[in-house]
Amino acid sequence: MSGLRHLLLVARTVRIEAVRRREIYAIVLVAVGLIAVVLSLNFFDLDGLNKFYREISLRVMTWAAALTVLVLAARQLPREFEQRTIYPLLARPVGRAAFLAGKLAGVMAAGAFCFGLLMAVYIGGTLWMGGALPWGLFLQYVYLQMVMFLILACLGFLLSMLLSLDAAITIGVVFFALASTITHMISFLYPEADRGARAVYRALTVLLPQLTLFDLSEKAVHAEAWSPLSFGVLAQLTAYGLLFSALYFAGAYLLFRRRPI
Amino acid sequence: MAPSPIDVSDLVVSYGRGAKRTAAVRGVSFRVDEGECVGFIGANGAGKSTTIKALMGFVFPESGSVKVYGRTPGDAESRRRIGYLPEVALYYPFMKARELLELYGGLSGMGAAEVRAKAPALLEQVGLAGCGERLLRTFSKGMQQRLGIAQALLADPDLLILDELSSGLDPLGRAGLRTVLQAARKAGKTIFFSSHELTEVEALCDRVVMIHQGRIVRDAPVSDLIRPLNRYEVTFAGLAGEPAGWPDPVRTRDPRRDGADQWTLETDSIEAYTEVLEAIRSADGEVRRAVSKSISLEDDFIRLVQGGTEAAAG
Repeated sequence: MSGLRHLLLVARTVRIEAVRRREIYAIVLVAVGLIAVVLSLNFFDLDGLNKFYREISLRVMTWAAALTVLVLAARQLPREFEQRTIYPLLARPVGRAAFLAGKLAGVMAAGAFCFGLLMAVYIGGTLWMGGALPWGLFLQYVYLQMVMFLILACLGFLLSMLLSLDAAITIGVVFFALASTITHMISFLYPEADRGARAVYRALTVLLPQLTLFDLSEKAVHAEAWSPLSFGVLAQLTAYGLLFSALYFAGAYLLFRRRPI
Repeated sequence: MAPSPIDVSDLVVSYGRGAKRTAAVRGVSFRVDEGECVGFIGANGAGKSTTIKALMGFVFPESGSVKVYGRTPGDAESRRRIGYLPEVALYYPFMKARELLELYGGLSGMGAAEVRAKAPALLEQVGLAGCGERLLRTFSKGMQQRLGIAQALLADPDLLILDELSSGLDPLGRAGLRTVLQAARKAGKTIFFSSHELTEVEALCDRVVMIHQGRIVRDAPVSDLIRPLNRYEVTFAGLAGEPAGWPDPVRTRDPRRDGADQWTLETDSIEAYTEVLEAIRSADGEVRRAVSKSISLEDDFIRLVQGGTEAAAG
């Protein structure tokens, strides 16, 4: 019980920091600005514009929220070490596991807040343009994005324990940016590859999380052609995401557990 | 018998890996008993903060043992009884003082209402009355240190471990801090602190543990350290002839010339000092200055550290 209380208290500090530093608002403003610029290029008929808006918005918003989560996660522990704020915290009867889990929960809360703001803009924009929202697919999209953010947050913590802050953020961003490219490349090259290359591709497919699996944005935009995912598929994707999150988080914890501070 | 608040035995802590591995603490042993106030002093890099970090479970012993109330450092039960002030206290700049105390209080197992009720008086006690709603990024270094002391006292701990106690505090702040610690002592708290302000250590502590180059070089009551080091200095003039012909109590104490007709000598006991004064007067000399020179803890520390360094260099 006290572990959960500690977790919530630590998470609250992350959330307060994210909100008071106003970075999230800046990210949301930049994202909205980008979308506005794209919308100003009005060369589609109304239906085309609506879909174009939705597609661009969801892509920009996914990027904005994913980078927010990744950067927030990667800098939590290095900042605590650098600014020495970790000492009075860990001087309390707080386990390092609860501390790390609290940090993760805080990052996820801040990420959800950021993503929520972006989604509010998205929903408002869609309705303002007279478009319809496919609520089933849209909510599934939001949910799976949150699962992907969890993977990225855990990865951010792990990288920050292995590398310097700058390197951790760079590697994390590169990983996120190339995730879909790698997946597409593997599925494109696999049929033509020899046995050795196929083994490498299979290993990569198993070892790296397939982040594209969590992206339903195209389906949410072209909802007339897609129906919502079944509960079974959603559960499998959730389990898949949780598995990678748990692996990364456990790695981060093992490194943090015995780290002298 | 209840275990001691602090029991350190043959503690060795090293940093780095492979060829770059360096021992910061080399076989340190000491104990702090219930209700004691112990000063932990040493030069920069002597191993004070590393030892304190080992007590807090922030660094891990290579060998030896550290027990806090009979438990390993980092154990939740032992931490519940500790109030800790870190060496360089920095606190979340985006939080308010009250919020920070609520966070730390909550982590120590206090209820939010309990912290809210206690915080104003605590902030007033450390000289931060009315600052509860200020963001910490607006706090000066001294104010951060005061807040650090407040957070250490917050959960009414049995043991206070304070690293570089008066760092960043002005004389007024130090005086206030002394009052706070004296009150804590009266309340039966055990206090273990490191400080570079040796006059403060002298004034507050029952006992001093000195560390130098990772080893304990003194562990004694403050009174024991100061008493045998008393010196008496006499400056005089007007004795006829050369020192070889002066009365025994003066001649045998190797007076040194420090002016045309002025000499100074030192004695190490009150009896010898009185004897010298009488001998000068009875030989029609003039005592120009007679001081009871009590050597401070600081003098002792400097002598010990310099001696140790020279011995190591030699």
